[in-house]
Amino acid sequence: MSERLGFDHVTKVFEGQRGEADFVAFDDVTLQAGPSEFLAVVGPSGCGKSTLLRMAAGLVSPTAGKVLLGDQPVQEPPPGVIYLFQQYAKSLFAWRNVIDNVMFPLESAPRARRGELRRQCQDYLRQVGLAGFEEKYPWQLSGGMQQRVAIARALAANPRVLLLDEPFSAVDALTRMELQSLLLQLWERRRFTAILVTHDVEEAIFLADRVAVLSARPTALKEIIDVDLPRPRDQLATREHPRFLSLRHHITASLLGPNEKTNEHAALV
Amino acid sequence: MPRSSEPDGIGYWAGVSPAIVLCIWELAGRLGWTNPILLPNPTQIVAALAALVASGGILTPLVHTVGLFVVGFTLAAVIGTGIGIAMATSRRLYGLLEPLVEMLRPIPKPALVPVLFLFLGIGKATMIALVVLAGMFPVLISTYQGVRGLDPVLLETARTFQISRSRMIASIILPASLPMILAGMRVALGLGLVLVILAEMLAAQEGIGFRILDLERSFQIRDMFAWIVVLVLLGAAMMKVFDVAERNLVPWRGRS
Repeated sequence: MSERLGFDHVTKVFEGQRGEADFVAFDDVTLQAGPSEFLAVVGPSGCGKSTLLRMAAGLVSPTAGKVLLGDQPVQEPPPGVIYLFQQYAKSLFAWRNVIDNVMFPLESAPRARRGELRRQCQDYLRQVGLAGFEEKYPWQLSGGMQQRVAIARALAANPRVLLLDEPFSAVDALTRMELQSLLLQLWERRRFTAILVTHDVEEAIFLADRVAVLSARPTALKEIIDVDLPRPRDQLATREHPRFLSLRHHITASLLGPNEKTNEHAALV
Repeated sequence: MPRSSEPDGIGYWAGVSPAIVLCIWELAGRLGWTNPILLPNPTQIVAALAALVASGGILTPLVHTVGLFVVGFTLAAVIGTGIGIAMATSRRLYGLLEPLVEMLRPIPKPALVPVLFLFLGIGKATMIALVVLAGMFPVLISTYQGVRGLDPVLLETARTFQISRSRMIASIILPASLPMILAGMRVALGLGLVLVILAEMLAAQEGIGFRILDLERSFQIRDMFAWIVVLVLLGAAMMKVFDVAERNLVPWRGRS
């Protein structure tokens, strides 16, 4: 199950506190992730990428413009739009063991279905490679495993749209690659719409169908690049693909801006 | 007392300073430096305590004190947690209750004893009310701060799962702020015990507080000291129970 999620001329202004000037986080951004699309958003740090996702999740509202889930404007957090935070340790419920964390989104279901749902959650844990860890508590797991729990919990919520806010930036490089591959597997199986925000250009290309490049403040949409790399993607083959390298070059240059391009050119001369 | 949270070896050293004080006390008594009627030796106090335990006379006052304490402490914990969460989650309730809390909180609670006598009479209601008044404010303040200090990531995670306000409070806010709530309860535990003894001295015909004062007035000093020892042990036992409960309730504290 998936759904289209779009930003329609979205502007977000944070009011300045105590006489400070207002801060324009986004200026007239129009961007859309189609059903089952994997869209990545890259931008310089501090450009408000997270704010974009928070608006998509209905956690903050835009100052002007609309966030649309299908044809419905997003105001409150809509069902099936699930947010995967970078700070997995803070987003897991420390007082619940692994299986009860994953069960959380399903607890409003009738009691009679609990047994069936629990088995379903055990299956999600198996899918993220955590079979046998049901009774452990988050603080007994490594960072990568904690993020796997968060992913399993997101699956349990039956996501139409999965919002990924730099979800792998706090784990080590090897774990990051494992989690990226895992995410792709799950996405290919479930076909939810995915919007990933990251500052890691390679991660964006490796995962996404399209990469949206944002400019620095006030953030506007600079360009959208189609990632025409074959799927399923592979950590070695995809990353060594000539097209991968040229995309990386293009997007990195775009992020670094015109000044860097000039320097690069000067260095060549 | 050896505790797992302390560095290795401290357990053995913790017993040394009380042992030295007790030795000096005992020695001073035996050498005739102290008045044996006003200050009995530790060994005499232990003998009095042993007699008290053997006779079974320890039971009724102990049950009286512990009973009042448990009722008062439980009420204080429930009321403090409830108002704390209400104030932390509703700006309207905060605005409504904050001036009242700030007015009542700084009053030294024993000063309210005469007022309570007037309205609740000299008896159990007054004693319990005193423990509640002493215990609820530390719990309330701690709870409020605990809830306000919760990480937005946690609350937003819960919000994206479409949960109702009541479930948000019961399943997220309450357990997440439990470490802080328990910290408040720890303070309330100490204060509550102080107030229950004071209350028994002023308003009871039974209980450890009543016994201590009564034995002093009838000049049975050894027995009076024996009851003070009971009180010390009771306080230590309650702290121990609280430690164990806390470790089981919030095993993630300081680890996540």
